Amino acid sequence: MNSQDSKIIYVESCPICGDGLCRIRICISNQKVTGFILCDECEAMWTDPFMQERVPTNADETDPQCPSCRQSIWGKNMHWANIGEVCLLGWFDQVQMVDE
Amino acid sequence: MVQKQRQDAAINALRMIPTKWAVIIVVAIIGYVLLQPQINKWFGLSLPSVASLVGDEKQTSQKKQEKFDSNEKTSTTKADSKASKAATEEKPDKDDSVNKAPTSQPRVSQPRDSQSRDSQPRDSQPRDSQPRVSQPRDSQPRVSQPTVGAERDSEKVHGFLTEIGRNRFESPAGLVYGSGSEEGHRLKHIERHLEDQPKRPGSHGVFEGDMHAFLVAIDDAYSRAKRGDKGTKKIQDEGSTIYEASFKKPIGFLGGQEGGRKRNPPLKQLRVVVRGNSLITAFPF
Repeated sequence: MNSQDSKIIYVESCPICGDGLCRIRICISNQKVTGFILCDECEAMWTDPFMQERVPTNADETDPQCPSCRQSIWGKNMHWANIGEVCLLGWFDQVQMVDE
Repeated sequence: MVQKQRQDAAINALRMIPTKWAVIIVVAIIGYVLLQPQINKWFGLSLPSVASLVGDEKQTSQKKQEKFDSNEKTSTTKADSKASKAATEEKPDKDDSVNKAPTSQPRVSQPRDSQSRDSQPRDSQPRDSQPRVSQPRDSQPRVSQPTVGAERDSEKVHGFLTEIGRNRFESPAGLVYGSGSEEGHRLKHIERHLEDQPKRPGSHGVFEGDMHAFLVAIDDAYSRAKRGDKGTKKIQDEGSTIYEASFKKPIGFLGGQEGGRKRNPPLKQLRVVVRGNSLITAFPF
């Protein structure tokens, strides 16, 4: 485990629940890396760190689905973004970092 | 002799009366036969049975007396207490499992309202350490109501939730705690709110109490907010619903970095986020 893994990378506190952190979730499927914003508390989702567009979820879903691969956001091909991935997505200026 | 004379007299009397009355008398006799033991039982009377009146007195009355005596022995009179004790102590040897179970499970008859749950000793025993199934089910008798209730109670997760499927638990208010979240299960997720995370950016609502108390509070808040009670709020969001409910007393404090900056002020409100009837998260705010 490197030092990057022990950092929480987030955009801001969740405007929906007020207690969660809007963090970057990475999906890797079919050799394609996709990122979206996910509140680690209430699981509200946005398409990007500007947080203008919500990702819709259904009330009957136990787990919300990744907007890219349509698998559970807590599935095997998902993880929280590290700094490299944040840079790759071009979202570095929009995030904050703290030690976990 | 006297009884035979009585019988003959009764038969003669029946012959003399009209058919209509005879039918009524027969019905009355049948009614008496059926009701006499019950009347004796209910009112503590000792009405004679028809058999004893007719003449079969010895056999039936002896049986009744034996039964009555055994009932009396198990009653609460002090004089008979030794005899009744001996009688009741003999029974467990014959069917040990049936009689032991209810005494070893004393919490069965408690009402399921929230107050009684609150009154349960929360801090005396850590709930997580309680075995969920304390006795093998098959060894438990299923004959008496208390034992069935005890089984249910021992199966409660955190003394509150009922297992409804694999890794799925339901609260009395109908909230379902299933798998999901970063921690893998919603129960694990909300457990994070039982402790402060001082390094965590922003606010982190911390519930002061154990998991059982937290689950009770969540259920209470959810029920009240769902009903639309005073001091509650319901917010519909993309696929999820946020319920908020206030409490009279503080239920926790504000933690996290923001809480630390504000010197951890007490919190009196609870926010519950659900999707359908599945809990996503809950925390004081």
